[in-house]
Amino acid sequence: MESNNKIKMWTPATTIMVLIMALGLVLIFYRLISGLGAVTNLNDRFPWGLWIGIDVLGGVAMAAGGFLVAGAVYILNMKKYKPIARAAILNAFFGYLLAATAITLDIGLPWNIWHPIVMWQIHSVMWVVAIHVVLYTSTLATESSPMFFEKFGMEKAARFIGKILIPVVLFGVLLSVLHQSSLGAVYLIATRKLSSFWYNSQIPTLFLLSAIMMGLSMVSFETILSDKFLNHKADPGILSGLARGTLIAAIVFFIAKIWFLAKGPGISAVFNGTMEANMYLLEMIVGVIGPIILLSMKTIRESMKSVFFVDILVISGVLLNRLNVSIFGVYRDQAATGFSYFPTWMEFVVTFAFISFAIVGFKVSVKYLNVFPEAKTEH
Amino acid sequence: AKDNGSKLISVDPRFTRTSAKADIFAALRSGTDIAFIGGMINHILENNKYHEEYVRLYTNATFLVDPDFKLPGEADGVFSGYNPKTRTYDKSTWKFQTDAAGVVKKDPSMKNPNCVFQLLKKQYSRYTLEKVSEITGTPREDLVNVYDTYSSTGKPDRVGTIMYAMGWTQHTVGTQNIRAMAIAQLLLGNIGMAGGGVNALRGESNVQGSTDHCLLFHILPGYLKTPRASDTTLKDYNEKYTPTTKEPRSANWWGNYPKYSISLLKAFYGENATAMNDFGYSWLPKLDDGQNASWLMIFDQMFRGKFKGFFAWGQNPACSGANANKTRKALAKLDWMVNVNLFDSETGSFWKGPDMNAAEIQTEVFQLPCAASVEKEGSITNSGRWAQWRYKAAEPPGEAKPDAWMMNELYWRVRKLYEKDGGSFPEPVLNLDWNYGKKDEDGKVIEVDIHEVAKEINGYFLEDKEIKGTVYKKGTLVPSFAFLQDDGSTSSGNWLYCASYTEKGNMMARRSKDDPTGMGFYPEWSWCWPVNRRIIYNRASVDAYGNPWNPYKPVIKWTGEKWVGDVPDGGWPPLKNPDGSDNPKSMKAFIMKPSGVAHIFGPGLSDGPFPEHYEPLECPIQENPLSKQYNNPTIKLFYSDPNSAVPEDIFVSCDIRYPYVATTYRVSEHWQTGVMTRHMPWQLEMMPQIFIELSEELGAEKGIKNGDKVKVSSARGNLWAIAVVTKRFKPFKVAGSTIHQVGLPWCYGWEYPEDGSGGDSSNILTPTIGDANTMIPETKTFLVNIEKM
Amino acid sequence: MAKGVLIDLTRCIGCRGCQVACKEWNERSAMDTKLDGNFTNPKELNYATYKLIEYREREFYGKPAWDFVMHNCFHCNDPACASVCPVSALKKTEAGPVVYRFDRCIGCRYCMLACPFYIPKYEWHKAVPWVQKCTFCSERIENGVKPACIKACPTGTMFYGEREDVLSEARKRMSDSPGKYVDHIYGEKEAGGTSWMYISSVPFKELGFNMDIPAMELPDLTWKYISKIPAVIGVVLVAGGVSWAITRRNKNAGKEE
Ligand SMILES: Nc1nc2c(c(=O)[nH]1)N[C@H]1C(S)=C(S)[C@@H](COP(=O)(O)OP(=O)(O)OC[C@H]3O[C@@H](n4cnc5c(=O)[nH]c(N)nc54)[C@H](O)[C@@H]3O)O[C@H]1N2
Ligand SMILES: Nc1nc2c(c(=O)[nH]1)N[C@H]1C(S)=C(S)[C@@H](COP(=O)(O)OP(=O)(O)OC[C@H]3O[C@@H](n4cnc5c(=O)[nH]c(N)nc54)[C@H](O)[C@@H]3O)O[C@H]1N2
Ligand code: SF4
Ligand code: SF4
Ligand code: SF4
Ligand code: SF4
Ligand code: SF4
Ligand SMILES: [Mo]
Repeated sequence: MESNNKIKMWTPATTIMVLIMALGLVLIFYRLISGLGAVTNLNDRFPWGLWIGIDVLGGVAMAAGGFLVAGAVYILNMKKYKPIARAAILNAFFGYLLAATAITLDIGLPWNIWHPIVMWQIHSVMWVVAIHVVLYTSTLATESSPMFFEKFGMEKAARFIGKILIPVVLFGVLLSVLHQSSLGAVYLIATRKLSSFWYNSQIPTLFLLSAIMMGLSMVSFETILSDKFLNHKADPGILSGLARGTLIAAIVFFIAKIWFLAKGPGISAVFNGTMEANMYLLEMIVGVIGPIILLSMKTIRESMKSVFFVDILVISGVLLNRLNVSIFGVYRDQAATGFSYFPTWMEFVVTFAFISFAIVGFKVSVKYLNVFPEAKTEH
Repeated sequence: AKDNGSKLISVDPRFTRTSAKADIFAALRSGTDIAFIGGMINHILENNKYHEEYVRLYTNATFLVDPDFKLPGEADGVFSGYNPKTRTYDKSTWKFQTDAAGVVKKDPSMKNPNCVFQLLKKQYSRYTLEKVSEITGTPREDLVNVYDTYSSTGKPDRVGTIMYAMGWTQHTVGTQNIRAMAIAQLLLGNIGMAGGGVNALRGESNVQGSTDHCLLFHILPGYLKTPRASDTTLKDYNEKYTPTTKEPRSANWWGNYPKYSISLLKAFYGENATAMNDFGYSWLPKLDDGQNASWLMIFDQMFRGKFKGFFAWGQNPACSGANANKTRKALAKLDWMVNVNLFDSETGSFWKGPDMNAAEIQTEVFQLPCAASVEKEGSITNSGRWAQWRYKAAEPPGEAKPDAWMMNELYWRVRKLYEKDGGSFPEPVLNLDWNYGKKDEDGKVIEVDIHEVAKEINGYFLEDKEIKGTVYKKGTLVPSFAFLQDDGSTSSGNWLYCASYTEKGNMMARRSKDDPTGMGFYPEWSWCWPVNRRIIYNRASVDAYGNPWNPYKPVIKWTGEKWVGDVPDGGWPPLKNPDGSDNPKSMKAFIMKPSGVAHIFGPGLSDGPFPEHYEPLECPIQENPLSKQYNNPTIKLFYSDPNSAVPEDIFVSCDIRYPYVATTYRVSEHWQTGVMTRHMPWQLEMMPQIFIELSEELGAEKGIKNGDKVKVSSARGNLWAIAVVTKRFKPFKVAGSTIHQVGLPWCYGWEYPEDGSGGDSSNILTPTIGDANTMIPETKTFLVNIEKM
Repeated sequence: MAKGVLIDLTRCIGCRGCQVACKEWNERSAMDTKLDGNFTNPKELNYATYKLIEYREREFYGKPAWDFVMHNCFHCNDPACASVCPVSALKKTEAGPVVYRFDRCIGCRYCMLACPFYIPKYEWHKAVPWVQKCTFCSERIENGVKPACIKACPTGTMFYGEREDVLSEARKRMSDSPGKYVDHIYGEKEAGGTSWMYISSVPFKELGFNMDIPAMELPDLTWKYISKIPAVIGVVLVAGGVSWAITRRNKNAGKEE
């Protein structure tokens, strides 16, 4: 069938990722038949671990790009970003698939995953998140469906979607805003448990802000990758634009963080050498301060290489933030009781398997679907 | 009680869960309670804290003792009449001065140097705070605190009670430990009072009942004496054990002895017991004169191959018996052993145990699975002497049968054998009365009806009998022991329980929560011996006129014509008439004593009329700080005579190889040797392994940390235990040097848990030595060494 | 009328009758434990242990002291665990108990994160795992009998009744014996109030109680957020709609020229 044969399917990297996915699949099966205890190092004092921290919290944040770009293009009508819209959305779609499956595997009774849909508990942030993830994933599906329809020549359907696309996108934006923050809100209940470096009444907002940073960097990151490996010429204008976006978000985020740091443990606390303080510093320098300094330089914003580097900083910074909230931020209390948590190799493999899935999936789509429409019609 | 402001005092070598709730905790080195209490007696006398009127009225403090009597203070730590060769006392000087009529001379002023009161003063004047603290290792201020607090109950309207158990009994001076406290309680006027007394907390749920029914070798049911070989006729026997008295107004209740012994014989042998044949007295098993057949002796004899067979009936001696290794070896000497138990045990499977060579052991073991307490009907008697009826709650599992069922079978089969092959002396078996339920055609009881047993224990009229005008029909149940006869016209399996099961029904099954006096007697809840009296010696709770010492908590009270309240110790009127004159119709309060009063001076015991501190057999110090006499002079030493001594009985004292005082005890999570609880995962979960508690100081000294595995060894054996290094044990300052004490539970055994993770019984460490009077093993004090493993 | 329990730690003798009674009634298995020098066993509450007595040694004016501290679910008046449960598998009942309904649970373990007292425990070893914690013997209460642990206790350490009566009993004991208790009913205010409350003669801090539990109903923390959601929705929709309309107008305007 017709495909973009400029893209080589079986590169070594891809092969490795596919293998990891295979192994991951085995482990997933193992987890299902013999329980979480057999596969993870989770325990009564660490009910949530790597899968929640990276796959769910991280994954969702990474996918924020989807709603940002979609919103920009279809609602604020910033045509400039049209070329990457589909890519961003598709990517988000994979991001959410990833998060959704991760949750399904992480909960003890996966076959009950549907319960929240019928058993409402509006007091529960978890329920709010669950509902959103369901809705938004289907929204994303809808948003990215035209590609498939086109592929299989179902113009009618495609056109229909095209018509309703705008409200759909608007809906998507709404959902994202809500659950990006909801994921933060999950931790509101953990008062006195979660270290005050991260706990505060505005975790939801902070989660949203960091998600925006993450999302934008992610989009530019992919765009650059696609440029390198998926032979799609990235438009520098777009990249610098995204970079500027990231910068703004980062600055706002930074101010907010400092504000709550001062309100909470106090500025000086970050230098008290505790594990929490150090993790906090690391997160801030890598993911916020560093990027801000760099991105504030036009030269860097213009250079694809350096932008790529900054993207990586931001992404790892925000990932670190999610890990801090989910694991390091609650570590000390627990460790005091003699419990500890470090993921098993199996947890890692499964996580990598998920990420690989997202990447490979994206690659395949680009190869077979019209992910970068303008890119084709050009030259 | 604490809610009503009373104080709880805990005296123990270590800080226990009880201590945790106590207002005052005083630590003492194991085996030094006589010193501790002696100091209190001294304190009470020195500071005039005793209840003088009570002492004069109800004790023998006023009695004059033989002038030749000597106290240990005057005679190198022993009383007058000691014979080192026989290790016994010639008690001829331990007696009271009597007048021509044979009545004991008394000095109501208690000033006469020979009167008991003055002797008591003299004896305990040696127990000064310094001395006591030097012996017990208890800090002075703690002693003072305990003494002051407790002796404050000497006031008539204040009372203190003592609850003791194995911490006092399991010593070479066990009996005297309790005597010492009894003396203190008498001085303080706390006996017979509500909330008073010296209360043994009886252990196994029915140990009181089993003792009442002659668990022990030297007694028959109702504390009648086991006949000795020299008591050839019933007449000799009754005369020998029926006390007489010349004391005016002494009820001397034991004067009724023949009524009880003959009623017992009638219960044993029924029709076959006649006046002609001494009521079958000759069929009773007899002890040799001077023979002691207590636990330690039994297993010593068994060890020496003197036993063919042994019924381990509801016990686990392989773990519970002192010097367990010796006990275990003893079992291997048997031809056969029957283990009657709910489960297999270290006893039932002794031949599989550690360092046992099954191939060499010839003992044939029979295991009889038996029904548990809730799987059969019957009565249990608690520490308060309440006989309470229990119903069957469930069917026994599998082949398990009630003990009574087994006894019935056993009796029947043995009887059949005698009938068939005759054999020497078949009478005791053939003449037994055995009417415990419906019988089949050849006369075998089909199923034991436990009610029939209970009724026989209460006793029947065996012929129509007229007593005080009323006629009691043949075959009816005797209303109370006051009606028992010495002419064979009544039967009673245990006179103390006469009135427990009457024509009115099974008194033990009563469950009324009425408390008319508000004193918590609950007279119609179950039944209490004797004659449902809830507080014995209660006539000592009133003054000579019958007015309660403690008006707020009256046990009984004389209204002018009768007693109200609890069932009085005999209905006689008070000692004095309202006008102050003596009432001739009255009787003294301590009716079981020939003298009618309580014994402060107690000539009955083998090791002295007053308690005197002696060091435990295995003790860490060179000499007894109090006297030249090191150990209790009258204990039976197993390891003395070189040609009969066996290495298993070895003991040491003040030996650098075993520098630490050890004691053993229970944990609430396990029952006894643990046979019933080590099979319970929930119990094991809480207390999975044998441990040894030691002080942080000793831990530091030996480099032992919490949770370390340590090797504990005594002169007799060794085992491993998990170290519990705790603030709850502290080193003692004894006779100038620092003495460390450790403690272990004894509820573990090699058989279960199967993987051996529980450890073994700490009785592997304990010595073969017993109390001078009761021979209860000294499992509460011995010497060990500990090494980190 | 919600039931409550007053745990008077001054009465507890540490016999652990309650711990076993709980296991017996709730048919909880026993762990394969070892002794480590402290008698607390198992070391923590777990899926098979709803109730635990903890042994703590202290020195007090040179004399040893030994404290027995009971642990089990507090049955908060407004339980964090229940409020965060996405399927209300955990639920505060009228009668007082916070009950668990396994047939609803999805196993997200948010309850474990939410509980300020670390009470809910998980059956990690199972393929079909449930959350486990003290049930307040709700089925017994429904049938008018005391919880198993309370029935078993030989010292009446646990006073059982309507929560109000329990509270007044606590105050009564404090006023009846002045100076005996520290002036704090743990659970009266903690986490907005709990059904199980403690009084003690030893400061709760020294007994290892978490003194950091806010005196508020924790669910408010998340509710503050959730209750804003509708507003947010409105804002976003309007904003989105408007901005879309504007851009749209601009486009059309452009066409006309
Ligand atoms: N849970 C449970 N309850 C039981 C039992 C059981 O096995 N398990 N057994 C039952 C039976 S049969 C009995 S006899 C009773 C026994 O009841 P207790 O006598 O209370 O039991 P023990 O723990 O053997 O000993 C009590 C205390 O004596 C202390 N002690 C040791 N040496 C001395 C000493 O020289 N002087 C003093 N003052 N104290 C000393 C020990 O440290 C220990 O704390 O318990 C009965 N109740
Ligand atoms: N070192 C040391 N040794 C001690 C003590 C100590 O303090 N320290 N304490 C001593 C004391 S006080 C005592 S009482 C003894 C106890 O010593 P034992 O009585 O030998 O020990 P138990 O484990 O109580 O044994 C009783 C057995 O009876 C079984 N049983 C239970 N119910 C029934 C029943 O209905 N019928 C029958 N046939 N069997 C039944 C139980 O399973 C158990 O195996 O230990 C003594 N040994
Ligand atoms: S203590 Fe924890 S588990 Fe129990 S009700 Fe409160 S929040 Fe829920
Ligand atoms: S684990 Fe079960 S009970 Fe706990 S919050 Fe999740 S769904 Fe509710
Ligand atoms: S209330 Fe019931 S479940 Fe809770 S601790 Fe007591 S016995 Fe266990
Ligand atoms: S049963 Fe009562 S006394 Fe025993 S540990 Fe439990 S609460 Fe304390
Ligand atoms: S302490 Fe335990 S065994 Fe003893 S009477 Fe009380 S409940 Fe029964
Ligand atoms: Mo006992």
